[in-house]
Amino acid sequence: MSFDLMVIGAGPAGLSAAAEAASHGLKVAVFDENALPGGQLFKQIHKFFGSKEHKAKMRGIDIGIELLEETDSLGVKVFLNSPVVGLYKNREIVVRQKETVRHFKADSIIVATGASENLLPFDGWTLPGVMGAGAAQTMMNINRVKPGNRVLMLGSGNVGLVVGFQLLQAGCELVAIADAAPRIGGYGVHASKLTRTGVPFYLSHTIMRAEGRENVTGVVIGQVDENWQHIPDTEKHFEVDTICLAVGLSPSAQLLKMAGCKMSQNGTPVCDKSGETSLYNIFAAGDVSGIEEASSAMIEGRISAAAAAKKLGFISEKSFQKRSGELDAALSELRQGMFAPQNRNAPLEKTDEGFNISKSLLKKGYITEEEISEYPGFKPGAGIRPVIECTQNIPCDPCRDICPKGCIKVENIVSLPVYDENTNCTGCGLCVAACPGQAIFLTDDRPGKVEEGKVAITIPYEFLPLPEKVGPGMAYDRSGAPLCPAYVSKIQESAFLGKTPLVTFVVPKNMAMRARFWKAV
Amino acid sequence: MTDRQYIIGEFSPASDDDLIICRCEEITKGEIRRAVFDGMFNICEVRRLLRCGMGLCQGLTCGRLVKSVIAGEIGLSATALEDATARAPMRPTEMFIFAKEVTDE
Repeated sequence: MSFDLMVIGAGPAGLSAAAEAASHGLKVAVFDENALPGGQLFKQIHKFFGSKEHKAKMRGIDIGIELLEETDSLGVKVFLNSPVVGLYKNREIVVRQKETVRHFKADSIIVATGASENLLPFDGWTLPGVMGAGAAQTMMNINRVKPGNRVLMLGSGNVGLVVGFQLLQAGCELVAIADAAPRIGGYGVHASKLTRTGVPFYLSHTIMRAEGRENVTGVVIGQVDENWQHIPDTEKHFEVDTICLAVGLSPSAQLLKMAGCKMSQNGTPVCDKSGETSLYNIFAAGDVSGIEEASSAMIEGRISAAAAAKKLGFISEKSFQKRSGELDAALSELRQGMFAPQNRNAPLEKTDEGFNISKSLLKKGYITEEEISEYPGFKPGAGIRPVIECTQNIPCDPCRDICPKGCIKVENIVSLPVYDENTNCTGCGLCVAACPGQAIFLTDDRPGKVEEGKVAITIPYEFLPLPEKVGPGMAYDRSGAPLCPAYVSKIQESAFLGKTPLVTFVVPKNMAMRARFWKAV
Repeated sequence: MTDRQYIIGEFSPASDDDLIICRCEEITKGEIRRAVFDGMFNICEVRRLLRCGMGLCQGLTCGRLVKSVIAGEIGLSATALEDATARAPMRPTEMFIFAKEVTDE
């Protein structure tokens, strides 16, 4: 059987590539070893960062559904349960299907095989209960199985932070996040979502050993110095039944290596701008060509597909230039900011605007009250208004686009959002729900709406069960420390909020800039 | 790194030699270290001797780890060592399935 284009891997890059190519008229087949398409997209239940064109504020699972509808409607053939066991430079693949192996040929091939999780060996790492963070995420979000009850997460990159939050959502207790690095690797806003619920961070700490005979019953972490050497007498013990490892991903580039693509030392194929490898008409897109976010992978897939379409004569040079120009622009927007690949090891000192990056945010996972008051989104005052605690340059702007009153300005995609006090915030809460970092809150002390001397604080609340109205509870500060009793005055849920319920609770006025979470008592 | 002249001294046991590195084939760090001291300076040779990375997961988990153990003993960075040769079948496939190869399409 032969096709114009074969795509290996039905994840974000592969499906996007297939959709793009099919839209230009190519006959496309996608092969995936799993029983379901989507790669890791369907377990990404959080909202993505970026801009509208990068599908920002959509959850990965919804992006997956949209992509599948697109490939279906364009007639892309998706072969599931079909591991590609061989790739050859004449653009032939060998696929295992049921109890046979079959050969397929195409004029062009896009390899979008993604990445696999790194693990870390330590005493006890083979005990049941030690797993990759991605594995825990698959258990929870695909198979609906709780991975454990008490969990320690090793790794504070975005995977560790996002999966950590999802463990909380699944009802697990997250006892700590440890990382051997001296600073939190992922977005500050992701870390802050955890700290305000009370999760502690242990930076410059790594796992010494897992305890247990049949399965994990505990873990010991210890501090390391700047040369990653253990500092004696710094051990901390936690009773846990699960240890999640979020210590990086490695590109799954074995097929490309087998075909004979030129490889670089870091294990990725050497590619040109369109993702074409050293082999004619064999492309690599997504994590297999370098670990990034799914949003980038989707654009990379489309860039490779557009290039394949041009090389096979399906689109003219002119329309290719136009399309690839759009895609390149979208991709370079995502590759900006302090977490972009080219800035990965740069010190985080100041934002583009010149504000000091919070040291506390990098070390402890929350910004202090003194630090936060510097930022342009943080303007305490009377009436109802958003308080935007977004303090790092991350390519993301849904808050600006969603506000019907234009209260929030984001100059370019990585700029910190600015609250414009000369606008009329109506307190609709759309920005609170839309922020993928859950870093926007509303404060409201309008007379007649809120009792004298009190303030109502609205927070995004993605936990079940939702609080009961007028339920008694406690307000917590950014570090997760209890502040004062607080009762819930309003719970909002609607389709406009994208499944992020908003909870409003009432506290004394002097807590307005401190209370950032609520728990029932 | 296949330079047989490379002198790395005598093998001496380490406290974590019992640590399993390749879970599928249950190969320990000590076994890999010993192989390096026996003169196997790259992942392919170690793999042929010990079968690490040749089990069910085909080295997806331990490939990096084996590499870092070998590199650590020779005093190189792990990226200086080449990955294991990639060859078909890329996923474990039983021989009877290969016997039923469909070739006439």
